Formats: sequence, C-alpha cells, structure tokens
Amino acid sequence: MNVKAANPLERYGAGAILPIVLLLAWQVVGAALHSPRTPLPSRIVAAAVTLVASGDLPMAILQSLGRVFAGFVVAALIAIPLGLAMGNSRAVERNVDPVVETFRPIAAIAILPLAILWLGTGTAAAVMIVAYAAFFPMIVNTVAGARNVNPTLLQVAATMGLKRVTIIRTVVVPAALPSIGVGLRIALGVGWTAIVAAELAVGAKAGGGGSGGIGQMMFVFYAYSIELNRIIVCMIAVGLVALLLDRLLRAAMRALMPWART
Amino acid sequence: MTQASHPRLVATFIYVRTMTVFVAIWALVAWLTANPILLPSPLTVLGAAYDLARDLELFQHAGISLGRMVISIGIASALAIPLGLAMGLSRRFERIVDPTIEVLRPISGIAWIPLALFIFGIGDALPVFIMTYAAFFPILLGTVGGVRAVDQRLVDAARTMGIPQRTIVTRVVIPAALPSLLVALRLGVALSWTAVVAAELIGAPSGLGYAVEWYRELLMTPQVMSFIAMIGVIGYVCDAGVRWMNRRFAPWAQALR
Repeated sequence: MNVKAANPLERYGAGAILPIVLLLAWQVVGAALHSPRTPLPSRIVAAAVTLVASGDLPMAILQSLGRVFAGFVVAALIAIPLGLAMGNSRAVERNVDPVVETFRPIAAIAILPLAILWLGTGTAAAVMIVAYAAFFPMIVNTVAGARNVNPTLLQVAATMGLKRVTIIRTVVVPAALPSIGVGLRIALGVGWTAIVAAELAVGAKAGGGGSGGIGQMMFVFYAYSIELNRIIVCMIAVGLVALLLDRLLRAAMRALMPWART
Repeated sequence: MTQASHPRLVATFIYVRTMTVFVAIWALVAWLTANPILLPSPLTVLGAAYDLARDLELFQHAGISLGRMVISIGIASALAIPLGLAMGLSRRFERIVDPTIEVLRPISGIAWIPLALFIFGIGDALPVFIMTYAAFFPILLGTVGGVRAVDQRLVDAARTMGIPQRTIVTRVVIPAALPSLLVALRLGVALSWTAVVAAELIGAPSGLGYAVEWYRELLMTPQVMSFIAMIGVIGYVCDAGVRWMNRRFAPWAQALR
C-alpha cells in the first residue's frame, strides 16, 4: 500500500519522462515554426530570468501576496469569532446561517463589479474580493470545528463551573483549531486564485489602470505587448506561489497543532 | 408527517425572518446613503430583476452560462474519468502521469485566461476551456481516490470467480468508486461555476459574467445586483442538482453528502 516509501529516484524517475518528452516535443515543434513569438521552453526560461532579474516579477508577486494577506486577515477577523459563536450557540447559528448560505454560492469574482463600483480599481477592491472569497471556507470550517467538540469535555468544564467565555477559550478553541486550520488553508488557496482573477479583470476593465500585481502584469503582457513567453512565466509563478502557500500552511499547522492528524 | 414537516417549517420561518432583517438593514443603509448608483434600495433591485426577467434577458444570459458549464463538465468528465480509472487501476501508469498532473494542478484555471484569450480569442471557446480546466482536476483526483479506495476483497472475490478484468472494472470498481466520483463532480461544478464568471467577465461576448460587467460600465447597479443574484441562484441550484444525483445514483454513500 505504501508506495510513497519506495525509492524516490525510481518513483520520480518514471514521472520525469513524460514532462521531459512533452517539453522536448514542444521545443522541437515550436522551433520548427520559425516564428519569434511562439512560446518555447527555452524562451520561457530566458523570459523568466529577465523578469526575475529586473525585479518586476518578484515585485508583482509581493504586491499580490500583500493583498491576499490583507484580505485573509480581514476575513479571519470576522469569520473566526462569528464561526465560534455560531458553533457554540444554536440561536446564533440559526439566525446567521441563512445570510451565510445565501451569499455562499455567489462566486467572489461576481462581486468584483460591485467592489470596483464601491472602492475603485485599486488595492481596496482587490482586498475586498479576497476577503469575500476567504470568508466562506473559514466560517464553514470554524462552525464545524466548534460544533464537533467532544461533549464530555464541555460537560466537564461546565461541571467545574467555568464561565462560557472561559470554556470557549480553553476548551472549544483548542479543539476546533485543526478544523479552523483546514479552513484557513483552503481560504488562502481560494484567496490566491481570487486575487489573480481580480487583478486580471481590473486590468481588463480599467484599461490597464495601474493597480499592479501579478494578474495585472499578465494582462498587460497579453493586451499591450503580446509576450506569450512572459505570460507563461507568470502562470508558472502563480502555480508555484499557490503550491508554496499550501505547503507553508501545512507545515505551520503540523508545527503548531501536532494533535491534528490531517 | 406533521412532526417531519415541523422542523422544516421552523427553519423556513427563521430563514425568512433573518433575510427580512438583512433586507431591512440594506434598505436603511440605502436610504441613508441616498445614492442609487452605489447602493440601490432592495425594491429598486427587485424591480430591475423583474424587468430583466420579463425581457428574458436574465434567463438568456443564465442559459448561455449554464450551457457552457454543462459542456465543460461533460468534456472534463470524458477526459478525467477514464484517465482517473487508469491511474487508479495501474500504479505504473499513475507514476508516469501523476507528476505532470501535479505540475499543472496548482496553476488555477483563471491564470490561463490571458494565454487562452490569445489562443481562442473572445467567444464561446474561452469560457469552456477555462471551466473544463477548472473542473478537470477535482474530477480526476476524485476518480483516482475512489478507485484506490475500492475494497480489495471485492476485487479479489470477483477475480476468484473468474470474472474478466473489464467486467470487474464496470461491475465492481466503478460502482464502488461512484460516491467519491460524485463528491468530486460536486467540487468540479462549484469550481467551474466560479471560473465561468471570471472567464466571461474578461473574455466572452455573452453570459452572466459579461452581463454583470456590461451593466457595471453603464453604472446600472440594480441590474448588476440582479445578475449577481442570478449567479448565486444558479450556483445553488447546480449544487443541489449534483447532491440530488448523489442521493439518486449512489444512495449507499449518504455519509459522503
């Protein structure tokens, strides 16, 4: 069953064949077209070196990441307390849940036109989109975590005459943390996707009006200079950052909450 | 019967009560801001939605987006399910294909929009491509996971009875993997619906995402909100539809709902 424990060289050796073959085929076929614009693996590497060396790409990524973290924090500040309250009190849950469930199916990107209308095409609108996108996975997982606390623990705490607030702080929150962590991890991934979409759309609709970020950068390469190699570099960067964020949060959860098993 | 319907009645009442409070706050804030472009009153939005529905414009765009999603889910399933079955059944095949999949998977469908715009131009192909891409990975992973989780004793039992491999796949593996597949399908539908709005917002001449952006440029906020609500309604209905399919076709997997 546990194949992952097998010789890693053997495991990745087989897997490396397909990507290498695909890349080589792409390079050969693409080069045969003799068109200076056709994206080729070699040109993509060159474009990546240029973009990283000039600092443009790292700057754009940092700008997007800053927005993601801002939106993420805003969402967490609202979703976690609210989710804990909903998970602990049936009355709060019943009264708040309809609003959450009504807005949950609305994709964050659909809110973008309203965000632009209210907050303009700058950072504020992008942060709002991320916060909206991140809010729902956070609150759903916080509620689930707070509700699935072992009832015996709650009874013990109540028997000892602890105040409700103390019970929440010392029993509910630690027990719900693994689930909250899952929510945060999903929210970060969703937020990163949302920021790329928001910046792309802002770039597309605001006539490239400078809002910056990696999404905007991609759109500029598409709309103004048609540099496909650079677009692909940005796509790879988007994927790498997504992967890195996920790994970082996973590692952080393992380090901070060793009792959570997933 | 009354006992069964009673909690539902209470839930409906609470839902209506909560949303009434929400709408009342909205109306109050709208009245205080007194700027129908920034925040129109609920009644104005309802009126706009009614007009859009009467002109069928609301349903035309919704139908276009929904049609694109159905096509995309169809294409994604046709590609991902056979591939997932093969990956789930053969370790060697999985080892060859999996790294390529894992390299592509973190790149969100939305990040493909600029390149896809260049390749397909503005039109139907772009949203369909983006949605297919977005739905492909969850369906693939769900299929692989489902096949992997099939009780080995069932497969062994079938093999002992001398049943050919193909029959084992169709009669044992696929039914056993179905619950996981349907959960994956639900995720795929949700992700592709998110992607369609982004794709249409940027690169399609029709559909809900396009309509939202079109009315925003005209500063017709009530219409914008009507279309946003429609996006939510269809998202909800699609999710309910997949859950219904789950109950209908894989009733043994209630726990996974």
